[in-house]
Amino acid sequence: MEHEHHGETPEEKEIGMWKKKLVWGWIATVPVIIFMYILPFVFDIMIFSKEIMAMLSLILAFPVIFIVGFSTLKSGFKGFLSLYFNMDSLIALGAVVAYLTGILQLFLPVQDYSGIAAMIMAIFVTGKYIESKARGRAGQEIRKLLELGAKNARILRGKTEIEIPISEVKVGDVMIIKPGEKIPTDGVVVSGESSVDESMVTGESLPVDKIKGSNVIGATMNQDGILYVKATKIGSDTFLAHIIELVEEAQGTKIPIQKLADKVTSIFVPSVLALSILTFIGWSIFGNFSSAFGASIAVLIISCPCALGLATPIALTVGSGMGAKRGILIRKGEAIQTMKDVKVIIFDKTGTITKGKPEVTNVEMGKGVKEKEFLEVAGSLEKLSEHPLSKAIVNYVNLKNYKSVTSFKVLRGRGIEGTISKKKYLIGNKRLMGENKINLKDFSKKIEELESDGKTVMVLSSEKDKKVLGLIAVADSVKEDSLEALKQLHAKGYYTVMITGDNERTAEAIAKEVGIKKVIANVLPEDKSEEVKKFQEKNGGTFVAFVGDGINDAPALKQANVGIAMGTGTDIAIEAGDIVLTKGSLVGIVQAIELSKATFSKIKQNLFWAFAYNTIAIPLAVAGLLHPVIAEIAMALSSITVVGNANLLRRKKI
Amino acid sequence: MKKKILIEGMHCASCATNVERSLKKLPGVESAAVSMMTRKAIVEVDERVKDEDLKKAVARAGYKAVSIE
Repeated sequence: MEHEHHGETPEEKEIGMWKKKLVWGWIATVPVIIFMYILPFVFDIMIFSKEIMAMLSLILAFPVIFIVGFSTLKSGFKGFLSLYFNMDSLIALGAVVAYLTGILQLFLPVQDYSGIAAMIMAIFVTGKYIESKARGRAGQEIRKLLELGAKNARILRGKTEIEIPISEVKVGDVMIIKPGEKIPTDGVVVSGESSVDESMVTGESLPVDKIKGSNVIGATMNQDGILYVKATKIGSDTFLAHIIELVEEAQGTKIPIQKLADKVTSIFVPSVLALSILTFIGWSIFGNFSSAFGASIAVLIISCPCALGLATPIALTVGSGMGAKRGILIRKGEAIQTMKDVKVIIFDKTGTITKGKPEVTNVEMGKGVKEKEFLEVAGSLEKLSEHPLSKAIVNYVNLKNYKSVTSFKVLRGRGIEGTISKKKYLIGNKRLMGENKINLKDFSKKIEELESDGKTVMVLSSEKDKKVLGLIAVADSVKEDSLEALKQLHAKGYYTVMITGDNERTAEAIAKEVGIKKVIANVLPEDKSEEVKKFQEKNGGTFVAFVGDGINDAPALKQANVGIAMGTGTDIAIEAGDIVLTKGSLVGIVQAIELSKATFSKIKQNLFWAFAYNTIAIPLAVAGLLHPVIAEIAMALSSITVVGNANLLRRKKI
Repeated sequence: MKKKILIEGMHCASCATNVERSLKKLPGVESAAVSMMTRKAIVEVDERVKDEDLKKAVARAGYKAVSIE
């Protein structure tokens, strides 16, 4: 990223280069056009004799082709030497051959194309200029996100406030951010309260409340309070820098549909060279040298595969840039193509449909069990587990002193066991109790009732006397917009499935609340990918998208045709997941689908036009029906159309 | 090992295809994806491949590797 420090991005450099060429190219070409074409053909004025005109044309065209076009000729002819042909090879050969006819006509009766050569080169650089500008707009969009950040930071040094450039902020510095100011870099709030507008990185329009301990993202906008933020990440480690890197990486990935275009471009140039020679030979035999030169030059010039090669990457760049601004990170370009075939969307329950922050709602004790003791045992056991449900219980119990637990064991997908004061306890779901032959009879009605409300029930029992001590019910409320998102997905015809390790009744209750079509409950984490596979095998192959939190769902995300990972706040280091949503809302899935479809249809349009253009134009050129200047204009336009068409994607409301 | 090469001088799509072809010919290069939009090549290589080799491969196709990370 050293380029940024020089104040000019590579895109700007390239645009500047073409602009200079454009100006000089036309300065030399315009007189050629006036003296050789406009005056004699339009006004019937011949200022100079034919011989002087020919010399003048050679002199004026020389700098256009050999100075303005130097880099193109160099790159093009290098292609001939190394056999790595590129599009410059065609234009270079076309322009040079056209120029040489100007010398050749001194000795042979052929038409002088040297003036045409200058026009070809001038139009070529003009086309490149317009194309590089449009391309630059697409490519820079992402990096522009970085420039949106604050330039300076106000930090505390001892007790004094000083203002320093953002590049001098160190990890651990405490920054002071006043209302309406941008947060200089990623950090954690050490004091103060405010709300922060994070729309530029998450697409979420509502400001997010920040209190002591909250994480904040650099470049987001502080709204109404003063925040004291300790910097935790700087420079290329920040959230925004990571997003940009991710997106840029994805922009370089290949989409299957592109393979055909790539194959065509790689054999295109040599084929066209051969075709051009054949055209020359054919016209020399059946016509004359003048038309042979005209037709073969036209073939060389019209056949540039540039539009074909640009069609996919430019649309992918525009699409992924749009996504990044809305909190949709397309990590693998392939997902754009696969998305259109997806019929089934499988959701993980916890943290995806629900908030993933369970809270204890009910505590029921068995006969003769004291609440204080019950909670002490439950809390002490759960304290040692990392599970979200455990955390909910620990938060609820809120003990000052925990009892010491020995022989502690996490039973995946079931619960935990541990020994307190020589007594072994089990806490977990019905499956765990069943496996240990603990009779739930006295509690079954209560359990059923709680589960029907969408609550997850955990049972605490002592292992030795097989006695249930009590129940703790935990509810994980549904995200506000899950219902809306699912409604939209159903309207689009998707079949939705929810998969969870939770029991059937709880899962059904949640599914009903949001309108999910099918529930697969009691699934162990490691079996989720197996369930995805089952759906994929239905009806002779169904495309399935899996939506999960990306942490324990990684295998399922990978197994699915499209894995959509829900990012949680600032953690986007999610390796699985073809698409990552930075905001936690399911509405992002609807947007991601729309964006993928829109981008892919742009790619298809672009490829169609690029192919169509070449299949129509090449035969015309071979037949001698295409004047070389018209051929060059058409070539330039084809690239500009493709890039322009991709930029139109931006207009789509997503 | 994943490496990122910043390449100068690619201004058309067939340039990107050329660089890709040249990189893939190197023994030890498992995959190569070159984008003219980002001006970057992302290559998956094993320990046999040195940065110098990558630079040479880019040069062979007619372009310049500015940096490798």
